[in-house]
Amino acid sequence: MIHVCQLTKEYADLRRGKLVALDGVNLDAYAGEILGLLGPNGAGKTTALRILSTVLRPTRGTASINGYDVVTQAAQVRYQIGFMSANTGVYDRMTAWEMVEYFGRLYGLEAEELRQRMEELFARLQMQEIRDLLGAKMSTGMRQKVSIARAIVHDPPVLIFDEATSGLDVLVARALLRTVAELRDCGKCIVFSTHIMREAEKLCDRVAIMHRGRILAQGTIEELRDVYHERDLEELFFRLISAHDAGETRQADAEHTARALAGAGP
Amino acid sequence: MSWSNVRLIFCREVRDQLRDRRTLFMIAVLPLLLYPLLGMSLLQLLQFVRQRPTRVLILGAEELPDEPPLIENGRFARDLFAGDPAERTAASQLLRVELASAPSVPTAVQAQRALAEGTAHVVVCFPPGFGKRLAAMRERLAASCPVEEPSRREPALPQQAAAAGRAPSSQSRSARDGAETPQPSAVSRARIAGDAAAPPEERASADAAAVGTNTAHRASPAQAAAPSSAATLPEAGELPRFEIYYNTADDKSTLTYEVRLAPVLQAWREEVARRNLAARQLPAQAVRPFEISEHDVAPPAHRSAGMWANLLPFLLLIWALTGAFYPAIDLCAGEKERGTLETLLSSPAQRSEIVWGKLCTVMLFSVFTALLNVLSIGLTGSLLMSYLPHVGPPPPLTPLWLALALLPMSALFSALCLALAAFARSTKEGQYYLMPLVMVIMPLMILPLAPSVELNLGNSLIPVTGVVLLLHALLQGSYLEALRYLAPVVGVTTACCLLAVRWAIDQFNRESVLFRESERLHLGLWFRQLLRDRHDTPSAPAAVFCGVLILILQFYVSLHLPTPQSFGEFARAAVVIQLAVVATPPLLMTVMLTRSPRSTLLLRLPHPACLPAAVLLAVALHPVVMRLNVVVTELYDLDDRLAASLGHYVSQAPSPWHLLLVLALLPAICEELAFRGFILSGLRHLGHKWWAIAAASFFFGVSHGLFQQSLVAALVGLVIGYLAVQSGSLLPAVCYHAVHNGLALFSSELAARAAEAPLLGWLVSRTPGGSCVYNWPTVLAGFLAGCVLLAWLHRLPYARTEEEQLQEAIAQHIGPGTPCHS
Repeated sequence: MIHVCQLTKEYADLRRGKLVALDGVNLDAYAGEILGLLGPNGAGKTTALRILSTVLRPTRGTASINGYDVVTQAAQVRYQIGFMSANTGVYDRMTAWEMVEYFGRLYGLEAEELRQRMEELFARLQMQEIRDLLGAKMSTGMRQKVSIARAIVHDPPVLIFDEATSGLDVLVARALLRTVAELRDCGKCIVFSTHIMREAEKLCDRVAIMHRGRILAQGTIEELRDVYHERDLEELFFRLISAHDAGETRQADAEHTARALAGAGP
Repeated sequence: MSWSNVRLIFCREVRDQLRDRRTLFMIAVLPLLLYPLLGMSLLQLLQFVRQRPTRVLILGAEELPDEPPLIENGRFARDLFAGDPAERTAASQLLRVELASAPSVPTAVQAQRALAEGTAHVVVCFPPGFGKRLAAMRERLAASCPVEEPSRREPALPQQAAAAGRAPSSQSRSARDGAETPQPSAVSRARIAGDAAAPPEERASADAAAVGTNTAHRASPAQAAAPSSAATLPEAGELPRFEIYYNTADDKSTLTYEVRLAPVLQAWREEVARRNLAARQLPAQAVRPFEISEHDVAPPAHRSAGMWANLLPFLLLIWALTGAFYPAIDLCAGEKERGTLETLLSSPAQRSEIVWGKLCTVMLFSVFTALLNVLSIGLTGSLLMSYLPHVGPPPPLTPLWLALALLPMSALFSALCLALAAFARSTKEGQYYLMPLVMVIMPLMILPLAPSVELNLGNSLIPVTGVVLLLHALLQGSYLEALRYLAPVVGVTTACCLLAVRWAIDQFNRESVLFRESERLHLGLWFRQLLRDRHDTPSAPAAVFCGVLILILQFYVSLHLPTPQSFGEFARAAVVIQLAVVATPPLLMTVMLTRSPRSTLLLRLPHPACLPAAVLLAVALHPVVMRLNVVVTELYDLDDRLAASLGHYVSQAPSPWHLLLVLALLPAICEELAFRGFILSGLRHLGHKWWAIAAASFFFGVSHGLFQQSLVAALVGLVIGYLAVQSGSLLPAVCYHAVHNGLALFSSELAARAAEAPLLGWLVSRTPGGSCVYNWPTVLAGFLAGCVLLAWLHRLPYARTEEEQLQEAIAQHIGPGTPCHS
């Protein structure tokens, strides 16, 4: 369903020059599974998911969703996905019902079909109470619910959740995770980025650990535990990132020494 | 593009805006409250100004004549004011008078002190003997009365009054006096007329308020010594004179003198003249020999059309712009701030649908704001009009014309505002863009207010100005005139709208604009980054910067170069501008900002057939360009002196080779390096070949200085740009440019020779002015040949930039077959 190959994204940075946010990322995700994208802040998770949602364009590499290229067939890709992130806000001056209805109609759903779908969604996500509440008056949890409803109103085969639980209390977060799991059970292909290990352990069928724009490890949690001989996912995560940072430091030192030697030579 | 999505987005945005209390207040409530409040304040202010008394200090009050009186009971004489008795009393009370005797210090010092201290708003100084000299003059006039024969007296008056009114020189006056019978009465009539009909002279003396001793003062003893002789009447320059001091830097002082005191003094002088005439036993009509009867043929409904035609379009457009700006900021920058833009961008709505939906919303609010404001102004104005009796209501069809003109203007402003707002990172940043936008649009709105700018084909092609001029014509009832230029105005406005919309869509497609993050301002770092992160060819901003730099340098260097007197100086100036201003900046920037000067300046060998094709293309299009030149100069008058001066330099050239070198080859190399080299290479990173060619042509056109020349040059630039892109080399562009300029230099001679040649005579014809122009069949043939050559160029494979490849790939996948949701 999702195929990402050598995906690279570079930004121009005033101080550091070229800033590589994604560095040759390879990923695959399939229907009926949740791929967890784990990484600390600034790992490149949001950039990767923004590229998958066609909001950003990669500098190099390709990504396709359900066979559609995210750059050249962006319009088709957007019909295939439901995208929800901390940056996809809710309109302040629209009610929950109006907001979901608006996006449902943008996805091309017919009026009756949309109404039935929305009734079902509002019941499933327990949103009847906030049906006529303006976005500006909603709590963070309510907004997240509306965002989920907005993202899945057209019943897309692929769902992308970017740190969807950040800022939520335990109760709302649990409810959201339960919804995501239900969606997986419905056969959706889900990419779920988070930096909370417990969420990944509970929810994800496979995980990809990202750091500084690179995928450090990829596989089911059990596979990773076996390969790295570490049962605790958080510990595993920490070790991988520390090893990567140490490797980079060694490499930088070696380059520095080589430059110094070259400068001292004849 | 799905119009149902556009409608959906439009409805949502309108509902969203209507739920925003601030927007509603700005658009609906404010205009309804603002104008009645402003009108009320204006009335209050008028009342305040009218009722506030001001002070006049009269120095040397004892010198005032008793008859006719200027001051009565400590105020200016009531009879000197205009209006009915009640109005006269009220007006006289507004001018408080303070009388003082002649000061011991010079009057100028005393007067300036009084004005500076604010004890008086105007100071009037009467010199010693002023009243006595007036009386003496009247006595002399009366004494000379019996000498004159009535039959000779009457016809001489108007002529002499007019002569005196023109303030003739002493020589002409003595010549005229000599030609007439040297009778004292005739001379005295001239003096009287001159005295009565010389307000400019008095005004001049009043304005030069700090003048010290005057001639009247010095002349008075001599006149007092011979009161009975008409021959000793004072000359015009020696007439009794008093001084008025006021301060134009102080509004109250100006108001006191110009509005209140000047009419009183004028009335007083007329009264003195009337009494002088009476003393001479002449009727008062002697200085008012004829009446003028005015007839306004405008229908009553159109009496105030001129004023409304200037005022209403201006107000309408200002409000259309304001009404578009704030919703645009909220719909773009506001969405970015609230984090809902990314939600929308990840939905299936295409960027163009989003832009059109938002554009329609912004336009609706723009139209609504403008209409409501103009309506509210109209209502308040109609109430105020009862206080302004000379101002009539606007013509009856005004609302219809305003509404018609409003639609295209709102569309244009909305698209411009939307593109700017899309660029803004936050609503605060968006607000900063209002002023630059107004500064660009305002001159186009103000230009039609100049009386010399009228509705013609040329002006109707100027964006905004054309619409305002058309609206002028409609409001003034010139419907046929308006209908004639409707098509060009609508065409230009539509083209501008579409360009602005395209720009807005482009902004929405650029992630650097949508996800722009604030960056610290550090010039050193920025410059280092420019040098460090160089690519093979320059970036689009670098190209734009280069274009702007060339234009600015050209402006300043041209200002500082002296006007050439000979071909040598002219050639030197041309070489300096081409080498230093046009070629140097792009060459330096190529070295500093790019890794591959060869790719940037297109220094490659083209397809072998491209060079002859370029030369042929230039020859084929030459008649078309020459005809275009004629059309453009017909549309926009070219100053004959400019054309003549260029012809003068050309005729002075030592040889045609000099001309070709300076005006054809050198510009061809320098300008192509700049505009088709550095600038076009950079602009092609925009991803659209034609956008890049058009933008480079724009800079190329503007660099030609004269508007008429710029217009044609920009069109020629499109052809050369296409040539450069398709051939991938600068050489064909240089060839085309050199041949084009060369042919243009010798076009008149070529045409003249062709006209005389037996076989080529049908190519050209002579105009009544004697110059030669290519015939339309020649122009058409050239155009067709040009099209064939361009079609051949079109088939050449050309190197695309990465951005262009991407855009082509996207365009291939966006088509009518785009699937709906699955």
